[in-house]
Amino acid sequence: MTSQDPNRLSELGARLEEVQKRNAVKAKGPPPNQLGIAGRFATELVAALVVGGGLGWGLDWLLGQFGIHTKPVFLILFFILGAAAGIRNVMRAATEINARMASKDLES
Amino acid sequence: MSLNPMEQFEVKPLVAEPLFHIGGHPIYFTNQSLLMVVVVIAASLFLTLAVKPGRLVPTRGQSMAEASYEFVANMIHSATGEDGLRFFPFIFTLFMFVLFCNFFGMIPWSFTVTSQIAVTFALAALVILLVIVVGFMKHGLHFLSLFVPKAPWYLLILLVPIEVISFLTRPISLSVRLFANMLAGHTMLAVFGGFVVALGGAGGILSVLSIAPMLLIVAIMLLELLVAFLQAYVFAILTCIYLNEALHLHDNH
Repeated sequence: MTSQDPNRLSELGARLEEVQKRNAVKAKGPPPNQLGIAGRFATELVAALVVGGGLGWGLDWLLGQFGIHTKPVFLILFFILGAAAGIRNVMRAATEINARMASKDLES
Repeated sequence: MSLNPMEQFEVKPLVAEPLFHIGGHPIYFTNQSLLMVVVVIAASLFLTLAVKPGRLVPTRGQSMAEASYEFVANMIHSATGEDGLRFFPFIFTLFMFVLFCNFFGMIPWSFTVTSQIAVTFALAALVILLVIVVGFMKHGLHFLSLFVPKAPWYLLILLVPIEVISFLTRPISLSVRLFANMLAGHTMLAVFGGFVVALGGAGGILSVLSIAPMLLIVAIMLLELLVAFLQAYVFAILTCIYLNEALHLHDNH
């Protein structure tokens, strides 16, 4: 009985590893549905615009406190930068979702 | 009875007297605070009592607690690798808190804590602050290379501000996603509930028709249970992904 144990143990180890590998692919994430993807892109884009605009507005206000009147310059500049950052975010999210979908296709 | 679908999100003080003052602002014990206390107690009790027997063949409760532990541990391991497991207590707490808040919000007459942007933004800000602190502790000033993509220097003038804005977007998109999902779902439930009441009170054939929105509510309720879990999961996995970037910088790009 005991002489067989190491053999059985290593066999069990191999099987466990196989299961863990299978689960690791699954743990990448649930299948993203269409609505989720749309919502994700929308929030990424809008959030970047809000952050960009907010930063520009804040910078204008801060410089205004020191008597430098730049008023709409930084707001406009950072709003455009925010739009670029938003598109960057959406592209990043899209590659991530693509990778997840590819791993899902592999599995099935 | 009022049919305002947004009424369920109102934060009301439960005790007329403020608990204490912070910088002149009165701090009340609200229905939101009550639900958060309930959620924390329920989650702690569930996790401690369920694993107490420590059986080799687990009971239903014990296997649920163990499954949630393993689920989060696997998630962290696959998203951040071995050294991310140091943050297991933080991410597990975050996940369980959001999950229990979402699920307790599904109980009628209770209150959905995660439908308040103040709560979700506080959680997201905590995550981002942790990411920044971990990044600077692990890599020092080299952490700032996260904002410098590989490009010629004249493009960096444009790209670095874009990357910084993109980084600052994270707490907002993280919190807005959770908050908007919970808000939209619960508003939808209340609106369809209003249809049932309005149709039922209309009399005649319209009263019979009120069964249709009622059935729809059941379906939406099931969908909301899924969303409640999914959003807690998304919040946790995004935390892992951000932590991974702070830990390993450009490795995974």
